[in-house]
Amino acid sequence: MDLSQAIMLRNNLRHNNVIMAYNGTVSDDLMVTLADMLKERLVANDEVKRSKLIFAVFMEGVQNLIWHGKEHEENMGMILITEHNKEITIMCGNRIEKDKTQGLKDRLAQIEGADKDTIRQLYRDGMAHASEHEGPGSGLGLLEIARRSTQPIGYTFVDVDEHSVDFILAATI
Amino acid sequence: MQIAATDRTPAISLTHSPLKLSISGESFPEDVSAFYGEVISAVNQLASTAKGKLDVEMAMVYINSSSIKAMYRIFEGLDAYRLAGNDVQVTWKAEADDDIMQELGEDFKDRFQSLNFTVEQHG
Repeated sequence: MDLSQAIMLRNNLRHNNVIMAYNGTVSDDLMVTLADMLKERLVANDEVKRSKLIFAVFMEGVQNLIWHGKEHEENMGMILITEHNKEITIMCGNRIEKDKTQGLKDRLAQIEGADKDTIRQLYRDGMAHASEHEGPGSGLGLLEIARRSTQPIGYTFVDVDEHSVDFILAATI
Repeated sequence: MQIAATDRTPAISLTHSPLKLSISGESFPEDVSAFYGEVISAVNQLASTAKGKLDVEMAMVYINSSSIKAMYRIFEGLDAYRLAGNDVQVTWKAEADDDIMQELGEDFKDRFQSLNFTVEQHG
């Protein structure tokens, strides 16, 4: 990248009110470091109740990346936090194997159209089901994100090749 | 059992006289099963190692979803102690401005209705 490209990238970050942007391997250490940075910013800028919502969504989003990053050789994690009209949007992305997308799509479909009471009920049911599949929180993390968001969650799957898909989840508070 | 708090793990105390379990602080350990394993087994053994009223006090600040699953196992152990014929009094404390911990307390209360369960906001 040359300097003019760097300026374009910087302008793009500024124009979109980017608070935090990261691309690469997402480790547990990185999560702790970014969480501390985010906490400091929230304490300075936001009221306590909203800060707790933002922090909870951030932590669950990043923990999903850490867990599912382990399944794939290329660790293509993305963390993006932006602010628009007093709302914070947290986007977390990673590359997953295509044949593992169906279960995720099913869970997202269940959450997508659900109102807050239904999500809370799903959450209560989910608390009891111990690590029966994939993640340490096994599905509870997605429900936590949906529950704490003030807007419905957004997501997309982008085909990479015949084996891989980039998954991005967006939550707004 | 006494476990001191860290930046990402709670303080945990389980004493037999008085019979009391306290968990307070942050909970997002790197390895949840390693951290909560001995706590869950100590609670599961209560029915054979203790007798009488058990006081439980939870005061969490932040707890991640995998720790919530571990805490569910702890509550199952507390319920087993109750089923062995003992009183269990749970007090779940949330800070006054913390709706997340307040709601989580209500969620656990809903799942463990047989336990004598109080959710309090304070501070």
